[in-house]
Amino acid sequence: MTAESVSASPVRFDSVTKRYRGADSVAVEELSFEVPAGEICVLVGPSGCGKTTALRMVNRTVEMTSGDIQIGGRSVKEGDPARLRREIGYVIQQIGLFPHRTISQNIGTVPALLGWEKEKIAARSAELLKLIGLDPEYGDRYPAQLSGGQQQRVGVARALAVDPPVMLMDEPFGAIDPINRSRLQNEFLRLQAELKKTVLFVTHDVDEAIKMGDRVAVLKKGGHLAQYATPTELLMEPADDFVEDFVGADRALKRLALMRVRDVDLWTAPLAQAGDPAEAVRTAVAAAEVPHALLVDGENRPLGWLSNRDLAGEQVPAIPDSAADPLIDADSVLRDGLATLLQSGSLYAPVIDARGRLSGVLSVEIVSDFLASDEASESELTAAERPHD
Amino acid sequence: MISLTLPTASFGLFGDAFHFVFSGREAETGGGTVGGTSQGLGLAAKQLEVTLLALGVAILLAMPVGLWLGHRQKGEFLAVSAGNAGRAIPELALIALMAAAIGVGLVNLVVALAILGIPPILTNTYVGISQVDRASVEAARGMGMTEAAIVRKVELPLAVPTIMGGVRTAAINIIATATIAPLAGILTLGDFIIARNVYGDAGVLAGAVLVALMALALEGTLAGIQWAMTSKGLKLNRS
Amino acid sequence: MIEAAVNENFFTDRSGGGCIQDNRLFCPGWVADNYDRYVDPTLQHLVLVGSAVAAGFLIAFALAIFAHRHRWLQTPFLAGTGVLYTIPSISFFFLLLPITGRGALTAIIALTAFNLQIIFRNVTNGLRNVPSNVTEAATGIGMTPAQILWRVELPLALPEIIAGLRIATVSTVALATLAVFANGGGLGTEIVTGSNITFKTGIIVAGSIAVIMAILFDAVLLLIGKLLAPWKRKQALA
Repeated sequence: MTAESVSASPVRFDSVTKRYRGADSVAVEELSFEVPAGEICVLVGPSGCGKTTALRMVNRTVEMTSGDIQIGGRSVKEGDPARLRREIGYVIQQIGLFPHRTISQNIGTVPALLGWEKEKIAARSAELLKLIGLDPEYGDRYPAQLSGGQQQRVGVARALAVDPPVMLMDEPFGAIDPINRSRLQNEFLRLQAELKKTVLFVTHDVDEAIKMGDRVAVLKKGGHLAQYATPTELLMEPADDFVEDFVGADRALKRLALMRVRDVDLWTAPLAQAGDPAEAVRTAVAAAEVPHALLVDGENRPLGWLSNRDLAGEQVPAIPDSAADPLIDADSVLRDGLATLLQSGSLYAPVIDARGRLSGVLSVEIVSDFLASDEASESELTAAERPHD
Repeated sequence: MISLTLPTASFGLFGDAFHFVFSGREAETGGGTVGGTSQGLGLAAKQLEVTLLALGVAILLAMPVGLWLGHRQKGEFLAVSAGNAGRAIPELALIALMAAAIGVGLVNLVVALAILGIPPILTNTYVGISQVDRASVEAARGMGMTEAAIVRKVELPLAVPTIMGGVRTAAINIIATATIAPLAGILTLGDFIIARNVYGDAGVLAGAVLVALMALALEGTLAGIQWAMTSKGLKLNRS
Repeated sequence: MIEAAVNENFFTDRSGGGCIQDNRLFCPGWVADNYDRYVDPTLQHLVLVGSAVAAGFLIAFALAIFAHRHRWLQTPFLAGTGVLYTIPSISFFFLLLPITGRGALTAIIALTAFNLQIIFRNVTNGLRNVPSNVTEAATGIGMTPAQILWRVELPLALPEIIAGLRIATVSTVALATLAVFANGGGLGTEIVTGSNITFKTGIIVAGSIAVIMAILFDAVLLLIGKLLAPWKRKQALA
């Protein structure tokens, strides 16, 4: 999970301070934390908290007043800033693609600066286009011909071009509409699962922080680190009132986005197939967790709920009184499972796997039990492995 | 062409020219007294008169058209092409043709000069008005202003810098061309320059300096008028 | 009134008969027989314009690049080139008289001075109008300021620079007709010929050549601008 690969380096902030000339207050004060290689660290906080300033000190677009930042053990202050930046991927909110160059040329900017051969650059551009999910023909188009979401993806590809050990992302999806933002976030997480880069990600949106981060650094005004923890810890044990307020009153519910339905202990309902003796089923129902029987087919796929009337006769009927709906996908997040239950007004819903076969039954009680327990911290996943739709 | 003795001699030449401006002397062709302040002032006044007349005519003709087209956001091709075409008119050919084909005289000269002044004023007025923030115009319309009031109170004030830029360009073109008006029989300061055989080198240099000073003074005055006419809010906006 | 070289052959190599005698507006016959007299003036005119625009561009471009780095210089440079633009070229010819005398060089220097402000202003504005997110991305990616200037800002400023060049060139073609007063040659020699500036056909032909030259220069620059900026031609997809 946190394997140190050649293409990812750890980043370390050591008492980093930034004071602007002539300003009374400090923008960033004695910020210290460490991001292990291959992880996404999200810097989040209200505006003016110094998160963007902190990010920009890593590639020296802002110079720190005191302290040090180290990438893979080497201080960023060594050497020429321009050379440092060529080894760091940089994605900004307004993207900033070069309008006068084609998409391929944009992606190949840093390789060209480093003097790669033309064929190598072209090959790499093509490879990255594929990685971000754009057809090869887009390579010859100009930025003005792409949508905002496509442009942002190209921005990410451009940042990845020389396989940098560290990526800096400054509210990269902030200017995108919410629907596409979600898609872009998911795509980036899929990418990260493959590439495992060290990423410093700035956002003001705590939900994005929880979704994207392996670790989250919550900053207060003046660049003070309020808490540096995994999303789960953040939600379950906010360090102080500020963090608690910032995370939001619904933090308990936010945890539901971090868990898959199949990872909780589901209840079992008595199962019956058409033609089974009704007497046995009635007995099973009386003793079961879920006081209703599910009609299933030979493959264990739920066909419907059996009512008392259904079970009144000799045999289990082929057509049940109530439909099996709503069905819950075992791979979906607990939050969506709860939403389905609440919307349909049901207490229970069958949970099915990818092939439609029954995994168990989800109930509202299961969800509330989960929220009350400490289960989550044991089954913690990295951001890339966590469920996202 | 560049002689080493000339730079040292030039001081003397400028001194001679200075002298020419302020006191009369014998004409090189021996035809009487030339130079001196009265002749200088007379020619300068003529040049100014001709320039201002032509500028006035150009403004009267071009600005209303520019305002109307710009306000209605129509005729962009015409307005912009006028500007391009105007730039391509060779001033010398214009004056010469006017003198040759139509005849000399103040009216003809003013018309010819006005022709030079119309294109920049037309283009800049159009561009200035049409590029006023449409939101301001819509707001004004929504408040119940008549179209004419919108032009007067909203579009014009916001377009002053661009429009005055056009007027200044026109003025520079006109006063420069007025310098060669003597070819067409109207004596302006340019006569000192063109008729070297009469006025001598000193006269030529004096004429050149006086024309330059006059042009700079005119441009400076117009710049001052522009500054006075530009609303404070616009001035704050200028980067 | 005019002291200029008197062309003795002017009246004796006329043909076209009665048209010329009456000095009618335009005599095609005469033009057909005498078009070769315009070759030299046209070539001289081309040299004048080409040199002045090239020199003006080099100087103004250099000034603009320098002032782009040191912003406080922009206002004084603009004012300085503005003064040079305001002074009428004829005036300039004779102010230069003590230094460069009379001839093509004087004319070229004066025409160059005229060009400076237009080109300077357009280069400066073009650079200023480059979107800030693009330069921000370029810095963050690791380009040095020089690389940003040459690979990002200037290419993006190109359309505006070309626009400035077009205006400067067209204006210079028109203005260069005055070079005759500095003994600099050019088409003006065919307008103010001998002691006769009333030869209508001559004026029309010389003037027309100047206008056509201006149009051609403009078209060529327009084309070059389009070729150098292919991204401007692409329409955004829906």
